[in-house]
Amino acid sequence: MNTETELWLFAVSVAASALGGMLGMASGIFIVPILTIFGHLDIRIAIGASIVSVIACSCGSAAPFLKERLTNVRLAIVLEIATTAGALSGVVLAGVIPTPYLFFIFGAILLLSAQQMLAKRREPALASAPPAVGCSTWQLDSTYPDRELGEDVAYRVQRLPIGMILMFCAGLSSALLGIGSGVLKVPAMDSALRLPIKVSSATSNFMIGVTAAASASTYFVRGNIVVPIAGPVALGSVVGALLGARFLISISNDRIRLLFVAVLGALAAQMFLAAFGHGFYRATT
Amino acid sequence: MSGKKITPGRIESRLARLLHVGTGVASVVIGAGLLLSLFNQPALLPMAISLVTAGIVLFILLPILRVMVMFTTYLKERDYQFAAAAAVVLVILFAGCAVGILSK
Repeated sequence: MNTETELWLFAVSVAASALGGMLGMASGIFIVPILTIFGHLDIRIAIGASIVSVIACSCGSAAPFLKERLTNVRLAIVLEIATTAGALSGVVLAGVIPTPYLFFIFGAILLLSAQQMLAKRREPALASAPPAVGCSTWQLDSTYPDRELGEDVAYRVQRLPIGMILMFCAGLSSALLGIGSGVLKVPAMDSALRLPIKVSSATSNFMIGVTAAASASTYFVRGNIVVPIAGPVALGSVVGALLGARFLISISNDRIRLLFVAVLGALAAQMFLAAFGHGFYRATT
Repeated sequence: MSGKKITPGRIESRLARLLHVGTGVASVVIGAGLLLSLFNQPALLPMAISLVTAGIVLFILLPILRVMVMFTTYLKERDYQFAAAAAVVLVILFAGCAVGILSK
């Protein structure tokens, strides 16, 4: 272990996770580009370190959402069948996919995140919606306490099969890229399942840990998780997430949102350059 | 925030406690290992690395443990449908470990 590298990794992870936390995003999407572009690390080592920090952040921030009854744990365990199955496929795929493709897919996911940050999330239809097809055998509908209204709001889970398919893709990209894949879970929960935003954020965050654990265990056994790198990154992410939650910035703040769109775009450009063998990235293989 | 108190369900409070305590323990173990490594003493290094490794393993096990708790809780509540869902997730998680060992 090199003290200087360790401190650098820790500091970078605190910053990435705090910034991500302020905007309600997972840090994973920032960690891998930073480690590869600025730290000149092998992308597979960066992914291994990132996936551990994704678990740490998910577990570390779950408790308050659970206590406020925002997390739908029944829905989570059903959707986790799809996310973990996707993660398992992603791990297998990660073993055979060439490195430039990883950079390319990562760049695409960054662009998708930027696009999602530009578009505002709309509150979907609640319990007044007609009975959903395909969900009747699972009792997933629930209520959540709305602080502003001061009462419980009932909601219905809709179009579960489409949600499961999208969750499989989220799990696959999580394992392949070492990210939480909130960027794919959010559209799945907002547009397919039609959940209230608070419920979908809490439930997606809750599922991220299990999804990441499915691939992290494989990566660990395979030796892809390098302890002196993954350790400081995981601890830094937990500390950063705690800090970020304290200085929560409203996403409705358009200037900050635009700034982040620019950052995501720049990182995406770097990842695309790396995919084609250019940029700051130096191959360390 | 309104003053109305929200009472979480049994499974929710159980999971919240597990994840909160688990994150704390794993973070402290990793932190202790990293602190040890900062001394730059070759004699302390093996211990530092084992501590950080243990913390990382704890983090990976924590969500698996969470699914196990859900499985047993649903089983106890005779909610067999959701216990089965948890069991399927557990099987997939263990399959992940198996894939790792086989592809090593």
